[in-house]
Amino acid sequence: MKHFRTTLFSLGLVVLAAMPLCRAADYDFKELTPEIKKALQDRQTRYAQIQELKREGVIGENNKGYVTDLKNSSSASSLTVAENQDRRTIYKNLATQNKLGGNGLLEVQRAFAEVQRDKAATGDMVQSSSGDWKKKS
Amino acid sequence: MKPFKKIAIMFLAAIALAGCTVKAVGDPNRPITINANVVVDIRGLKQTATSIEDMVAQGAVK
Repeated sequence: MKHFRTTLFSLGLVVLAAMPLCRAADYDFKELTPEIKKALQDRQTRYAQIQELKREGVIGENNKGYVTDLKNSSSASSLTVAENQDRRTIYKNLATQNKLGGNGLLEVQRAFAEVQRDKAATGDMVQSSSGDWKKKS
Repeated sequence: MKPFKKIAIMFLAAIALAGCTVKAVGDPNRPITINANVVVDIRGLKQTATSIEDMVAQGAVK
């Protein structure tokens, strides 16, 4: 009986210690600065155009969390540049506000790239983590 | 194995698993620099990325 209680107590300690590891860390904007607000609003404004260009195969989601102009289209170029600038503002602020360290921006970009790949519609061009471009099936 | 020894081993394992806080005391005129590795939880980042992208899509101008 004593042996059983000791084992149970020890197991309890391990479970208590491991609990924070089971929960995903909470990363968010600690301060919604005017720069971040503007980036989010501008992305919302151009969202429909970006989706349209994706459907047409003119732009695609690359493996760094940004959009790439795949056909060197002049109409898509300015939109792509603006979209990527806003995304960079969001990523950079997430990394710095959450004190993610030297590789923080890269980690944020990688996470957003994965989410963009998951969210891409069938037929959209996406770049895999190995660098290959393909239509999402 | 004696119960006390067993508890001690499990407790040390628990601390090793959960991490610990290191407190440095030194001369304030000669601050100690500790280089620590930041562990980024990719699962947490993906959750944040998903909610931000959802927000962008939902608030999109039609």
